[in-house]
Amino acid sequence: MMKELMMSLAVLGLAGCASVQLPADQLEHSEASIRGAEEVGASGVPAARLHLQLAKDQTETAKKMAAAGETRAVLVLARAESDAELALGLAREVAVHADAQRANEDLKAVRERGTN
Amino acid sequence: MKTHNTSLLATLAISGLMVGCATTAPTELVAARTAYTASNNGLAAKLTPTELHDAWIVLAKANKEFDEHGDTTQCRDYAYIAQNKLQLADVKARTEQDRLQIAEAAKAGVVVRDSQVKSTRAALSSTREQLKEERRDSNAKSIEIAKTAEQLEAEKQARVSAEARLAGAMKDLATIAAIKEESRGLVITLSGSVLFASNKYALLNTAMTKLDQVAEALKAQDSDKRMIVEGHTDSQGTDRINQPLSLNRADAVRNYLVSRGVESDKISAIGMGSSHPIVDNSNAENRANNRRVEIIIQPSHLSVR
Repeated sequence: MMKELMMSLAVLGLAGCASVQLPADQLEHSEASIRGAEEVGASGVPAARLHLQLAKDQTETAKKMAAAGETRAVLVLARAESDAELALGLAREVAVHADAQRANEDLKAVRERGTN
Repeated sequence: MKTHNTSLLATLAISGLMVGCATTAPTELVAARTAYTASNNGLAAKLTPTELHDAWIVLAKANKEFDEHGDTTQCRDYAYIAQNKLQLADVKARTEQDRLQIAEAAKAGVVVRDSQVKSTRAALSSTREQLKEERRDSNAKSIEIAKTAEQLEAEKQARVSAEARLAGAMKDLATIAAIKEESRGLVITLSGSVLFASNKYALLNTAMTKLDQVAEALKAQDSDKRMIVEGHTDSQGTDRINQPLSLNRADAVRNYLVSRGVESDKISAIGMGSSHPIVDNSNAENRANNRRVEIIIQPSHLSVR
């Protein structure tokens, strides 16, 4: 019984020591999305800022988990990636929405000029 | 038995509780399923179907994990990712809608501007036409004004010339007749002895030369003035003789003047007899002065046609 327990611990120890390889393209995509979100002003959009922070935190967590050999690291990175993409999407939405409002105001102004 | 039964009931209760826990989907998964239903019925289904499909794939993994292994961390991770992807599908759909709106506004702006440009061009064209017309009118008016100015100048010249002619004629006339301005008009007095033989009304030849000058002076007058030839005698003889004599003499003068170009409808003749002497008839000189013919050029306001 004792022998079995020792073997199990040894296996667990070995598993803990072997690091998990995070998918490079996924990591790269996640980090690119984070940078993209920052560039389009995600820090200035409350909802985007939250997901941006979650993306950053989870990317770091995924890296640590991967280093610690935790297989969930891949899923945590996928969570980070989805947060990064969402942050980028939310930030873009605000910018595009502002553009749309401006376009509508411009059109209104052009129409009003036409009637004057 | 009772104890067993009690033990069995307790085991079933715990087991039932465990099964209940195992079949209850985690909050993340429930939320993801709800979000999927909403997105699938919303804008994302129409504008971002690819993103919605990606989310559905992850949600399917979460459901499968839950179905096979219950509420695991992996199930929650998939549900979390699915929620994010669903929210992203909605966000991208709204963004796409905004982009479409921008494109539509730009298109509408082009249409409005085109229409404005067209209407501005039309207005410009109309203004140009109006300007052309105004220029034409203005040119026509300028020509008209120039013509009027020419006419006025010609009339002025004619008037100056007429006035000069009148002044000359009046000056010449002053050498053979007395000219006096009175309230009844300009009175030209010709001595009877210069014009007629005693008791005659046929003009003397010498009289005609003088009357030619009178005719020139009369023709130089404004055309709207009327003229009256008055015949006067002295008080010798009766009115029965003097009256017709004065009228015949006035007529003789009038007819001669008409024959020299004075308009017949502007000149009339009357015989005054001896009723209007200019001096008393007490001596020969005065009587000679009373025998006279007066030509009265009436002022315009007295000239009744």
